[in-house]
Amino acid sequence: MIQVKSPQDFWAGLLFAAIGCAALWVGRNYNAGVIMKMGPGYLPRALCWGLIGLGALLSVRSFAISGPGIDGSKVRPQFFILLAIVVFALTIERFGLAPSVLVVTVIAALASHEMKWIETATLAVAMSAASVLLFIYLLSQSMEIWTWNL
Amino acid sequence: MDVFQNLATGFFAAATPINLLFCLFGCLIGTLIGVLPGIGPIATIAMLLPITFGLSPLGALIMLAGIYYGAQYGGSTTAILLRLPGESSSVVTCIDGYQMALRGRAGAALGIAAVGSFFAGCVGTVLIAAFAPILASFAEQFRSPEYFALMLFGLLAAVILANGSVIKAIAMVILGLLFGLVGTESQSGTARFTFGVPELYDGIDFVPVAMGLFGFAEIMINLDRKEGVRAITARITSLMPTREEIRRALPAALRGTSVGALLGILPGGGAVLSSFAAYTLEKKISKVPAEFGQGAVEGVAAPESANNAGAQTSFIPLLTLGIPSTPVMAIMMGAMTIQGIAPGTAIISDRPELFWGMIASMWIGNLMLVVINLPLIGIWVKLLRVPYRLLFPCILVLCCVGAYSISSSTFLVMLMAGFALLGYIFSKLGCEGAPFLLGFVLGPLMEENFRRSMVLSFGDPMIFVQRPISLTILVASLGLVLLIVLPQFRSTREVAFQE
Repeated sequence: MIQVKSPQDFWAGLLFAAIGCAALWVGRNYNAGVIMKMGPGYLPRALCWGLIGLGALLSVRSFAISGPGIDGSKVRPQFFILLAIVVFALTIERFGLAPSVLVVTVIAALASHEMKWIETATLAVAMSAASVLLFIYLLSQSMEIWTWNL
Repeated sequence: MDVFQNLATGFFAAATPINLLFCLFGCLIGTLIGVLPGIGPIATIAMLLPITFGLSPLGALIMLAGIYYGAQYGGSTTAILLRLPGESSSVVTCIDGYQMALRGRAGAALGIAAVGSFFAGCVGTVLIAAFAPILASFAEQFRSPEYFALMLFGLLAAVILANGSVIKAIAMVILGLLFGLVGTESQSGTARFTFGVPELYDGIDFVPVAMGLFGFAEIMINLDRKEGVRAITARITSLMPTREEIRRALPAALRGTSVGALLGILPGGGAVLSSFAAYTLEKKISKVPAEFGQGAVEGVAAPESANNAGAQTSFIPLLTLGIPSTPVMAIMMGAMTIQGIAPGTAIISDRPELFWGMIASMWIGNLMLVVINLPLIGIWVKLLRVPYRLLFPCILVLCCVGAYSISSSTFLVMLMAGFALLGYIFSKLGCEGAPFLLGFVLGPLMEENFRRSMVLSFGDPMIFVQRPISLTILVASLGLVLLIVLPQFRSTREVAFQE
């Protein structure tokens, strides 16, 4: 029976090939030209085929050569880290820096299973004050401390 | 001598109170980062990049460079005391440094590492001062074909030096090149891979990519693991090594410095490779190789000198050719571009105070690190007790606000989240971010230089082999390809990375 002997290589190969195919499709209308007179599509297309080729090679090879497995992934940290970034993007212009950092720090802290509420609340208040001080007062970035634009 | 006059200009520019303050600040932050595992210099420099926007160009560069070599110092501290490399460049120092600490020689090991680094830093500074102008005037003959060939060489070197599978490294370079092409194409004005998003017309901003791939992916990987308890076993009594230790450390530091200085110049080299190579060399030529791994003084002196020398000389390709050789240099290039400075041959003649000021600041920074940091070791070690659960939310907030402040755009923050996920997936699949970042930075430059070469030669691709310099570089690149393909070398490469 055929078996994947190197899961890392197998999935990495598929990912590379998939990105190559997707980029090829997105860029299907870019004019390629010839090597002497490269159009905007020449290099992207060449790179995509390179990715697809290497990806296929990696995946096919992973049936023959064994390699390390993929380490287990936890859902909680990854979910809260990404959520924290997205929440920052959604709140910074609507509510301003201070409330946004406050909320984002708490969400980020939830990523660790060792999180403690009182400690986190203190950290959030401190981070919120520190970032206002640093970015708005010291670096005079154009951000509101707090605002309400929905 | 011109060199001394130039260095005097540099010291004059760098030694203003405000620039000294930036230098100190950079060194302190760098050491802090170096001490704390789980956040590397790439992520830190990217994180602090937005903070430097308001500074003068020289001040910004001085601070960022300070972070880089400060991190080398800090990394060795934890490597020796805790067997915990704060930076990848101090991984080898763990082996013998920690053994020395167990035998009660922690202070001596720290002292040797610091003084060795300082010595290497001085040599590195002199080397840059002496050779950078020569290289730059030589590089004035370079035209597009030479630049294209050089970049190709750099990318190939990055592939060889990447940890792990060569195929994956090549694929990561290609992927980086592809992402580098996003934006409006210069000649026809075609918008490539922009999906109609206006923020992408000028290309993907460098900072969110670096923060996502290095900063966030690191955090996410760290959170997957169980948090270890950091116990400090060693007590520091005196930083003075014994006479016997000095006798053994001195030649090792000299050799380490030469190895590091040489490898640092090579594309893809830098601090990490330098320290590995220096350690291997010491073990090979030692009369008592069995002592390595048991607390050999040479095993601390050589790699610590090498990584600092390498960190220093890796600035040479960036400052003279405008080609970043390592991811850290790619970020420095980003910082220069943001400050409106085009790195390259013209920088020495057009902005001498900037160029020489930066070099002078490297020496000042190294001095600061020895004088200020050695007494502070106790404080740095205490900082290690700050649990990671408090540390990473701070990093995350700094990155988010930093990414937003680049151009007050929430799109960049979202983009950063995307690259964080991508970086996390890639490191789970054993693909390194470093080749991607180099490809990303060099992609548009390579396309531009290739196209210009074609214009220069009226569409004749033979131009690359007709010009002697470009031919030489291409032959060297071919040599690198052979190295990748040849089986003997591949096995030594694997051994080298396992050690």
